[in-house]
Amino acid sequence: MPLKWVLNWQPNAGSTVNSQILNEVSQCVESINGVKEGRWKATLTFYKPMLRDQALAADFPRDFLGISLPEQPNKYYFILRGHKIVLEADSSIQLIMEKLQSYKSRVALNFEGFQYQLGDFQLRVGKVVPTHSENLRGIVMEVEYLPISSLEKSRQIMDEFVDIWQDTVSKRSLPGHFLHIEPNFSDYGLADHYTSQHTAVQYAHVMAQLIASVQAGQAARN
Amino acid sequence: MECVVQGIIETQYVEALEILLQGLCGVHRQRLGVHEICLKSGPNLGFVASEVRLLCDIEQAEPTWTVKHVGGAMRGAGAEQISVLVRSMVESKASKNVLRLFYALGYKLDYELLRVGFTFHFHRGAPITVTVSSVNKMLKLHATDEAVPVTPGIQLVEVTAPATSENYNEVVAAVSSFCEYLAPLLHLSKPGASTGVVPTAAAAAASLMSDGGGTTL
Repeated sequence: MPLKWVLNWQPNAGSTVNSQILNEVSQCVESINGVKEGRWKATLTFYKPMLRDQALAADFPRDFLGISLPEQPNKYYFILRGHKIVLEADSSIQLIMEKLQSYKSRVALNFEGFQYQLGDFQLRVGKVVPTHSENLRGIVMEVEYLPISSLEKSRQIMDEFVDIWQDTVSKRSLPGHFLHIEPNFSDYGLADHYTSQHTAVQYAHVMAQLIASVQAGQAARN
Repeated sequence: MECVVQGIIETQYVEALEILLQGLCGVHRQRLGVHEICLKSGPNLGFVASEVRLLCDIEQAEPTWTVKHVGGAMRGAGAEQISVLVRSMVESKASKNVLRLFYALGYKLDYELLRVGFTFHFHRGAPITVTVSSVNKMLKLHATDEAVPVTPGIQLVEVTAPATSENYNEVVAAVSSFCEYLAPLLHLSKPGASTGVVPTAAAAAASLMSDGGGTTL
């Protein structure tokens, strides 16, 4: 399948994300002739262990995530970032987890917005909001290059595209920029050929960056 | 949900059973080689203990994994009266990291088995699967190459069919009806309510083997 990079909006120190930034970013895509195609949504769920003795919480993972992706409607992905484990399963794995009652959903976030076609690229711009809320927590962007499935073979063209994109966004003088930090996919046992498991791992890492920047913002205000 | 019955048959009669099943099902058998890893939640995990099964199909060139949760049996007076077990069951295919994931989540190995035999998948009022297998235990952890039968000379026969809360009565009827054809060779009943081997098995098997299944039992 085509590869993609998932980018995360990094607010400048002392500033936070807001819907005005989201609007400006969307306008940037349209200004470089991105053609709006339709909506997309991914959902990420944080799971917490159900423990009889909370004092033993450190024995259990605190970074257990589940993700559903729009391009794989019948699949579900689990990630344990600390253990470098990613799992692809059928959507019915969620029902199995409910029946086991060992882990339950702590909080769920939607990544949702519009997708755009731009030549050989497909772009998605999305807001990060808790489910059942409009409280904007972040902005993400997916840059997908349709002709190539190899991460290495596509690296140069993706770097060039993202440079152009960053340049376009910087002209709007917004209080932040998009960040792309590629996870070490081989740590997760993933190869050069791109798959939805790679996407799930990228979202897990983006989530960690989002949490870190929210915490940094809170620390700066305190 | 699924409907399930089980029975046992002596290994010496399995070939005759296969001939009978071939005639009844009209399809070819498929080889079965499943490493079944049964996990249980660790002592502190969950307010109630939970169990989950990981099934690795080792017959494939690239082993494939399935996660299976078997839930409680249907209860009540109606359930007591039917001869087929109806229980909740959810399955999911999973990628090869699934055992590592469940260990990392705090699940422990309860026991593991290797099932070797064959299956027939066919439709007769409902999609039915008949599995005939020897159940083997591993002498060393995960060592499927060194597995020995739990009950030498005896194999397990399982008949299962998927069901929903709307159609389980029809599925139960289809499974019960099919099981009657196997009665001369083995008795099938709810898991846990085994009645052992049947006395007519030897004669029935001899009949099947002598004319390749042409005889009507």
